[in-house]
Amino acid sequence: MSANVETSSTVVDRFKDTTVGKAIFRSPRRVTPRDRAAGHWSNFFLHIYPVKVKRKAIEFRYSYYLGIISVVLFGSLIVSGIYLMFFYVPSPGQAYTNIQTLQTDVSLGQYIRNVHRWSAHLMVLAVAAHMAKMFYRGAYKAPREFNWIIGVILLVVTLLLSFTGYLLPWDQLAYWAVTVGSEMSAYVPFVGDRVQELLLGGPIVGSSTLLRFYVLHVAVLPSVLVMLLMIHLWRWRKDSMLDMAWEDGNE
Amino acid sequence: MSDESDVPVSIGHEPTSIGTKRVLGVVPGKPVAGERKDPEEQDLVMVWPHLLVRHAVAALGALFTVLLISVFFDAPLREVANPDVTPNPEKAPWYFAALQELLSHFHPLVAGVLVPGGVIVGLICLPFIDRNPRTAARFRKVAVTAFTIFMVVWILLTIVGFAFRGPNWGWVWPWNEWHGEL
Repeated sequence: MSANVETSSTVVDRFKDTTVGKAIFRSPRRVTPRDRAAGHWSNFFLHIYPVKVKRKAIEFRYSYYLGIISVVLFGSLIVSGIYLMFFYVPSPGQAYTNIQTLQTDVSLGQYIRNVHRWSAHLMVLAVAAHMAKMFYRGAYKAPREFNWIIGVILLVVTLLLSFTGYLLPWDQLAYWAVTVGSEMSAYVPFVGDRVQELLLGGPIVGSSTLLRFYVLHVAVLPSVLVMLLMIHLWRWRKDSMLDMAWEDGNE
Repeated sequence: MSDESDVPVSIGHEPTSIGTKRVLGVVPGKPVAGERKDPEEQDLVMVWPHLLVRHAVAALGALFTVLLISVFFDAPLREVANPDVTPNPEKAPWYFAALQELLSHFHPLVAGVLVPGGVIVGLICLPFIDRNPRTAARFRKVAVTAFTIFMVVWILLTIVGFAFRGPNWGWVWPWNEWHGEL
C-alpha cells in the first residue's frame, strides 16, 4: 500500500515535497477526502467557493449557470476594456477618430472593440436573467434576503456601466441615446435639473459629460461593482450551507 | 454477525504500513458508513471537481459565444456626434427601451421617475413583501403570477420600443423598416 501511494506521485506532488514546494503549498497530500477539503480551503483561487455544496446546486436547472456566466462576461469586459483604454482619449475632438483609428490601424482593434460591445450587451442579459431565475427558485427568501438586495444593486450598477460606456464612441448613436436617457433624470421632482446638470456637467451632453462618463465608466462604477460582487460571492459562499426556511426541493 | 466474518484475514507475508500506521489485517463486513444509498439533493458534493468543471464549461461556452459574435458582427459606429442634427427616431439603449416606450404614453414623472424607481425599490423590498417561506412555484401562485406578468409586460415594451418604433416614435413593422440600434 505504501508502495502504491508512492507510485501515484505526480511531478506536482514531488515538487510539493521539495523545500520550495513546501514554502508555497501548505496543504497535505491529497489522500483522504479530508486532505482534499484542506487543499481546497488553503487555495487562494478557490477561497471564493465553498468546499462542498448540496448536490442539487451543481445541476443546470438549479441556476442555468447564469451567475458564473455574468462574472465571466465581466472579466471579458475588464480585459477588452483595458486594451481599449490604451487607444482612447475622452475628449470630443479625439474620441471618435480614436475609435476609427482603433478599428483600422490597431492590431485586433476592431475585434477587441466588438468583444467589449457584445460582452456588455450579453452581461446585461445574463444579469437580468440571473435575477429572474433566482426569483423563480425563491432564492430571495430567508435566510438569503440580503444577497438578493446586493444582486438588485449589482443589476443597477451593470445598467449604469453599460449606459456610461454607450457614450464613449462619441458617434450620433452614442450622443443621442445618452441625451434621451439623461433627459429622464430631469423629471425627478425638485432636484431633477440639478441631477441632470451634475450628470452631464452642463445643460446638454458635451465635453464635460464625456469626461464624467469616462471616469465613471473606467474607475468609479467598476470599483463599485467589484466591491459589491465580492460581498455577493462571499455571502453566496456563507449562505450555501444554510437551509431555506422551507425546502420544497428542485421542481 | 457471524463469528467467522469478524476474524481478521491475513493480508500477506509482510506488514504493510500507511503513513505511520501498520496494517495488521482487513476485516470483511459491511461498509463503515452503512448501506449504500442513492444520492439525494441535500447530499454534499465536493466543489472541486463537481461544480468547478461545470463552471469551466459554462465559462468557456460564454466566452466562445462572445468570440463567435465578435468575429461575425462588428460593433456599430455611426457618423461623429453632432448636437445640431437630431436623428429621428432618437433611441435610448435597448435596456431602456421599455422606459422610453412608457414615456410616449405617460407623463415623464411617471415613466421616467416613478416606474423605474418603483421597480428598483420593489425588487429590493421583495424579500420583505413576500413572506411566504415556500420555494416551489405551485405553493406561491400569487408571487409567481405577479412577477411573470411584470416580466412579460417589460419584455414586450422593450421589444416594441426597440424594434417597432420609427420616426416620431410612430409604429413601424421591423421587417419593413429597421430602427433598432445595439
